Amino acid sequence: MTAAIETHKLTKWYSHHSRGIIDVDLLVEAGQIFGFLGPNGAGKSTTIRLLFDLIRPTGGSARVLGMDVHRDRLAIDRRASYVPGELSLYGDLTGRQLLTYLGNLQGSVDTAYREALIERLDLDPTRRIKSLSRGNKQKVGLVAAFMIRPDLLILDEPTAGLDPFIQLEFEHLCEEARSEGRTVFISSHQLPEVEHLCDRVGIIREGRLLAVESISALKERALRKLEIDFGGPVPTEAFANLPGVRDVTVDDGVLRCTVMGSLDSLVKAAARFEVRNLRSVETSLEEIFLAYYGAGDGIAEEEAGHAAA
Amino acid sequence: MLLRNVFTKTIRDLRWPTFWVALGMGGMTAYFAILFPTYSKILDIQSLMAKMGPLAKLMGASGDVNTLTGFLHIELFSMILPALMVALVAGMGSGFTAGEESRGTIDILLSYPISRRRLVLEKSLAVLVACVVTAAVTWVCGVAGAAISSTALAPDKLAAACLMLVLISLVFGSLALAISAATGNRGTAIGVAAGLLVVSYLIDGLAAIVDGLNTIRWLSPFKYYMGGDPLRNGVNLGDAAVLAGLTVVFMVLSVIAFERRDLAA
Repeated sequence: MTAAIETHKLTKWYSHHSRGIIDVDLLVEAGQIFGFLGPNGAGKSTTIRLLFDLIRPTGGSARVLGMDVHRDRLAIDRRASYVPGELSLYGDLTGRQLLTYLGNLQGSVDTAYREALIERLDLDPTRRIKSLSRGNKQKVGLVAAFMIRPDLLILDEPTAGLDPFIQLEFEHLCEEARSEGRTVFISSHQLPEVEHLCDRVGIIREGRLLAVESISALKERALRKLEIDFGGPVPTEAFANLPGVRDVTVDDGVLRCTVMGSLDSLVKAAARFEVRNLRSVETSLEEIFLAYYGAGDGIAEEEAGHAAA
Repeated sequence: MLLRNVFTKTIRDLRWPTFWVALGMGGMTAYFAILFPTYSKILDIQSLMAKMGPLAKLMGASGDVNTLTGFLHIELFSMILPALMVALVAGMGSGFTAGEESRGTIDILLSYPISRRRLVLEKSLAVLVACVVTAAVTWVCGVAGAAISSTALAPDKLAAACLMLVLISLVFGSLALAISAATGNRGTAIGVAAGLLVVSYLIDGLAAIVDGLNTIRWLSPFKYYMGGDPLRNGVNLGDAAVLAGLTVVFMVLSVIAFERRDLAA
C-alpha cells in the first residue's frame, strides 16, 4: 500500500531566520489519523506547506499519495485537501459562495454531502465570511476540506476556536474518513486535543522530527510519577542519583519522584527499606510530550515551569 | 455564475473598481465632447496654448487644439486617462498574487488543482477584459458626446486611441504584476509601476522641449502610446507592437517568477 505521506531528509533552510525544518523523514501510512505535534514555530506549517508545493525544499524530497509534491501537484490537489493554520478566506463571499467556488475549482462536489457537513458542523452558510468568528471560519475551512472526500486531509491546527460540541463532530468526521480508508493528518501544539483521536503521532521540535510513535507506545515510554510509602524515614540521597529518576522529594517517609523508562533502579533502591505502598500516578501525554521536547537540553523543565506558572 | 473559476471570480472582484473607473473616464470624455463647442466659443484655446508655450508641449499638445480631436488629446489622452486606467490595472495586477498572499488566501487557493501559471493567466485575462470594457465605455461616451454636440470626431480614430490606452495600461499593469509575482509585495509593485509611469510620461513630454532627452525618448512607453497621434492617424502598428511586446515580456516574467518562488504564509 502506498504511504499517504513520505518524506526523505526533507529540509527547508531559511538563511535569515531560524524557522525551517532539517532532515525530516516522515512516514504516514494510509488509513490512519496521524498527529503532527510540536510547539508553535517548530516547523509544522513549514512541513505542510512543503507538501502542497507552496514553498520549495532546500533539500530532500517528499511524496504525497505516492506522487512527487512538485511534479504531480495538480494530481495531488485533486485527491488531498488542506486547511491552513492561519485560515484566511475571501471575506466578501458568504460561506456557501466560497464553498461553491472551491467546489468548482475542484471540479465536482457532492452538494448533498456538502449540505450535510454544513448541518453537522452547525455552520450558517448565508453569512459573509468577514462577519464570522474564528471558530465559524474554521468550520467553513473544514467543510471545504471534507466535502471533496479526499484521500488525504491535511489539517493545520484544525480545532482552534471550535466549541466542544463541534470539536466532537469534527472528531467523528475524522473517524469516518479513517473508516473509509482515508488518511487524516492533523497538526497541533496541544496533545490532549488529538491524543484520543490519533493512531500515531510525530513530534517535531526546532525543525527536527524527534519521534514517530503509536500513542500506546508513547504511553509505555511514559514519564511515571511514583509515590512510595516507607515504614520509616529514608535518606533522600539514596534515591537522588538513580538513572532515569528525577524530581525526588522525601517527606515524612513518603518518596515522590518522576521516572522515565525502566523502574528497575528505583525499585532496587527502595527494596533496601521497608516499602508499605507504591503508587504510580497516571501521567498525561502532555508530560510525555514535554519529556521529548526536553530530551537532553533541560527545556522540558523550563516549559513545565512556565506551564505551571 | 461568477464563481465558476478563477477568471470569472476575478471579474466578480473587479466589477466595482472597473465600474467606477469606466464611469470616471467615460464621464470625462462625454463631458468634454459635449461641451467642446461651448468651450471653444468662450475661450480661444489656440492662443491660450500659445501663451503656455513649452508647457503645452509638455502636456502633449500636438497642433490644432481647436478641434475636438486635438482637445481630447491634450485634455484627456495625454495624461488623465492613462493615469486612471494604469491605476486600475496596476492595482489589479499587483493584487493577484501579492494580494492573495498578504490576505493569506493563496494557501487554500493553490491547494486546489490549479497551477500557478493558470492562476496568473486567468487573472490577467480578467484584467484584460476589465481594461477593454473601460476603454469601450470611454469610446461610446466620446462618440455619443460628439454626436450630441454635433462636433466632428472620427469614431475609428477614437477607437485607435482607446486601443493604445488599453495597451499602455497593460504595459504598466503587467509590470506591476511581474514585480508583485517576484516579490509578493504589493506596495512595491504599485510604487514602482506608478513611479515608472510618471518618469516615462515626463521623459516623453520633456523630450518635446528639451533636446537632450530625445536620445532616451525611445525608452519611454509613452512615446509608443501617443507618439503616433492615434486620434488623428489611427493605430501605428509598430507602436502597438512595442507595447504589446512589452506586455508579453512582463507576463512571461510574471509567470516564471511566480512559479519559482516560495509563497508567503
